[in-house]
Amino acid sequence: MTTARPGVPLAAMLEHPSWQDVTVLAGSGGHGDRILTGAVVHAELSTPFAEVAGPDAPLTGRLLVVLLPGERGDWRLDTLLRRAHTAGAAAVLLAGTEPLRRASHALAARLGLPVLGAADPLTAHSALNLVTAQPQLMTAETVIRTATACQHAGDTVDELLNELTTLLRRPTALFHHAGDRIAGQRVLYGDETGAVAAWLGGSSAQHPVPRLVELPSRAVLVIHPVPDTSGAGPPYWLAVRLPTALRAESDAVAAALSVAAGAVRQRLTLRRLGLERSARSRASLLGELLHLAGDAPVAVRRRALDLDWQLDGWHTGVRIGVAPEVDVAGLRADVVAALGAEELDAAVVEQGDGWSAWITAGREPSGIEVERLAGAIRRAQRRLADTVGTYVGVGRVHAGPEGIARTLGEAGDAARLAQGRAATGRFLHVDRLGLAQLLLAWTRTDTFQPAARSLLEPLVGESGDLVRTLAAFLDAESSTAETAAVLGVHRNTVTARIARVQQLLGVDLADPDERLALHLACRTALTSPPPEGP
Amino acid sequence: MPTRPVTVRPGRMTDVTGTPARTSPAPALIRAADVDALVVGVSLLGSGGGGDAVTFAGVLRRRLGDGEIALISPDDLPDALTGGHVVPIGVVGAINVLTEKLPSGREFRDAVAAVTRWTGRRADALMAWEAGGLNGLSGLVAALDLGLPFVDADLMGRALPRLDQFTWAVRGRPLTPCALAEPSGPILVVDSAEGADGAAGANATGLERTARSFVASAGGWAALALCPTEIGEATRDTVTGSLTRALALGRAHATLDQAPAPEAVADALDARVLATGRIVDVVREGMGRGFRRGSLAVVDTASGAVLRLEAENEFLLAILDGELTASCPDLLCVLDRRTAVPRAVERLRVGDEVMAVVLPGPEWWWQDEAIDHVSPSAFGLDAPAVRTAVAGTPVVHTGGPR
Repeated sequence: MTTARPGVPLAAMLEHPSWQDVTVLAGSGGHGDRILTGAVVHAELSTPFAEVAGPDAPLTGRLLVVLLPGERGDWRLDTLLRRAHTAGAAAVLLAGTEPLRRASHALAARLGLPVLGAADPLTAHSALNLVTAQPQLMTAETVIRTATACQHAGDTVDELLNELTTLLRRPTALFHHAGDRIAGQRVLYGDETGAVAAWLGGSSAQHPVPRLVELPSRAVLVIHPVPDTSGAGPPYWLAVRLPTALRAESDAVAAALSVAAGAVRQRLTLRRLGLERSARSRASLLGELLHLAGDAPVAVRRRALDLDWQLDGWHTGVRIGVAPEVDVAGLRADVVAALGAEELDAAVVEQGDGWSAWITAGREPSGIEVERLAGAIRRAQRRLADTVGTYVGVGRVHAGPEGIARTLGEAGDAARLAQGRAATGRFLHVDRLGLAQLLLAWTRTDTFQPAARSLLEPLVGESGDLVRTLAAFLDAESSTAETAAVLGVHRNTVTARIARVQQLLGVDLADPDERLALHLACRTALTSPPPEGP
Repeated sequence: MPTRPVTVRPGRMTDVTGTPARTSPAPALIRAADVDALVVGVSLLGSGGGGDAVTFAGVLRRRLGDGEIALISPDDLPDALTGGHVVPIGVVGAINVLTEKLPSGREFRDAVAAVTRWTGRRADALMAWEAGGLNGLSGLVAALDLGLPFVDADLMGRALPRLDQFTWAVRGRPLTPCALAEPSGPILVVDSAEGADGAAGANATGLERTARSFVASAGGWAALALCPTEIGEATRDTVTGSLTRALALGRAHATLDQAPAPEAVADALDARVLATGRIVDVVREGMGRGFRRGSLAVVDTASGAVLRLEAENEFLLAILDGELTASCPDLLCVLDRRTAVPRAVERLRVGDEVMAVVLPGPEWWWQDEAIDHVSPSAFGLDAPAVRTAVAGTPVVHTGGPR
């Protein structure tokens, strides 16, 4: 066949895994846009070209592979380079990776002829011919090897991805829907992460087919969706980075990913099953602890020991609430990690829309230690904010097995209050609120609410969200700086708004009576919705 | 006792303007003042090898003194020599050793005496058996030493490394009987050197073997005097006028300016310039005693062309941008860029600024039956002989292998 065959850029071939032992010996300046249409084996330096290529298959555009190039000092190497150049060869590949002599190097540079070296030139030759002439064969071979690898890889997603990376000899990763890499190697750099995340976010996994994402750096991402284990949630994405868009390789990798996607999903399902099984066991033990009357029975203690829970000692309960749609079992590891990052060794149990956790101390903590603990929990909550939005309540310290139920009960109440209080960062500590919170409950009565609303009436409809500013200002003990930080505005803005509030309401915030009345009114106005209608 | 030069013809020599000497009818004359030009000339015939002629230049200058010696053309023999016998003479062995172990002056006399005594023939004149490099001068030194006339004919027309590359050997003529005289005293007469099979060229290769083992066991070199032969018979299969050419080349060379332009060099030496630039690579590999394989590369400053020269003692093959462009027996020479002085293969280093040229080699070798003995393939290089047409493009010689 003499018809023009589609070629492979030399640069792409040099980055191809099958050519990883091929090095550029000379003429590197000219190889950027060289296209290789195939390879021709040439035995020795002095063999005439007519014998290797033949009249029907000219050397033009092809790679001349010299199996026995002799020593690098042989002058016939120079004449070969010249003959190859004249015959239109795209490049020359010599056996061995020893450097060329200066003379040959200078000549190759002068001719603009890339000269490559490889310890095993025959393998490089067949690899090139496979890529240029039989890409389907390459795909088939890759798919078979992938199927075998998926069968033999370990039970975890990580093990499977490692196996794929080795097989494809390219970095492989698993992303969650919006571009969070959850396993595998790094496949995105710099700005690429944002662009690909946006692309992933906008793509549906309806049709489980591989796609190519071209990156600005010439690299290509081959992506294949992996449906969520429930089949309803956003998909995972299996991604392989290729340094250049080499059609034969991306086809093979895409086919391999189609096979691997099923195996990845199976690993994800296995992991999910494990998570849910342990979540159920933790939740059932916690259920028993919450209904303890008196000391814990031996059976409960033994199961607690299995989970490394301490029943004795002083417990501080933490309730972490989330929106109903959040995958509580799946994110437990993130909660444990966030607490661990603040050196909090907590028992964490999936319960309802969130987690119940408690931290156990061997002796009764002092007031300062309790404060410190609350601070650490608050920082852990901020860490979690990147992953999931939460509201957190912290109970008081209680001792013994029954103490767990009591502190968690307080933490639950605090969390419910925290949910509506963005001003405090949706965090409440019962030790701080105590009885004050009970008193506050009175402000929710129907008699107080209309009065409160009419008190703040002049502020409604004014620009600048004056009610919220006033509430934050009073919460912050009249500190403009703290208020500005909570609201995320400039300090001067707060000062100006407060001045306007005093002007509109005709009040003096220095008067303790007026402050108390306004503070209660604000709290009511912000926690209960205004009545319907005009 | 200083020997008197044989031919003294004051007033007949070349004029002072440096016009090349004419070879006929008056023979060229060499005086002490011509020695520098002659050294350049025989170095060009040496093609990068043949030994350092400068070593013998001092000896020749002293022997000449105020006198002169004629380069007698075999076509224009004086009556006194007609029917006389001529002895081809020269130095064999590791000629580089000569720089360390200078000739005593006795070696040529001993060798000629031994070969004349053995054959019972007189030596009426001497000739050189090699014209390039050191042996271009050694015959003249011997002629002055022995007080004999010098005939300008030789068996190579340039420098070549092996005895089987004597024109006589190529024609199947024996090189024996002959005599070798070694500087420390021993003298060896070789009556026959053929092997039992008597194959063609066996005489020369047998003598080569004998000569090598002789010089190896002694001082590293020896004077070799071939059988006294009737002049007409002796010069029948030879290159004639080589030293006259060398002298003309040397004189033309002397007219060149410092750092001459390539065109000026080409004009003066009747040469083709292959490259002018810096040596970027030198490879040497030992190939046994006296034989040194090597390669060097010059990148032409103006064009960027890459010239590669393959050498074995002498330069053998020139490859320009990967194409064969010139070869032995034409004279490949590397000249110093500044002085245009020919440089020996072994003296060249990476970074040297040089000009590589090719001069036409002896016409004799371009005969079909002769070329195979001196083409690159005769030195184990897988390439045909490439003849330089100075004004045109190189021609691959069809008589050579492939």
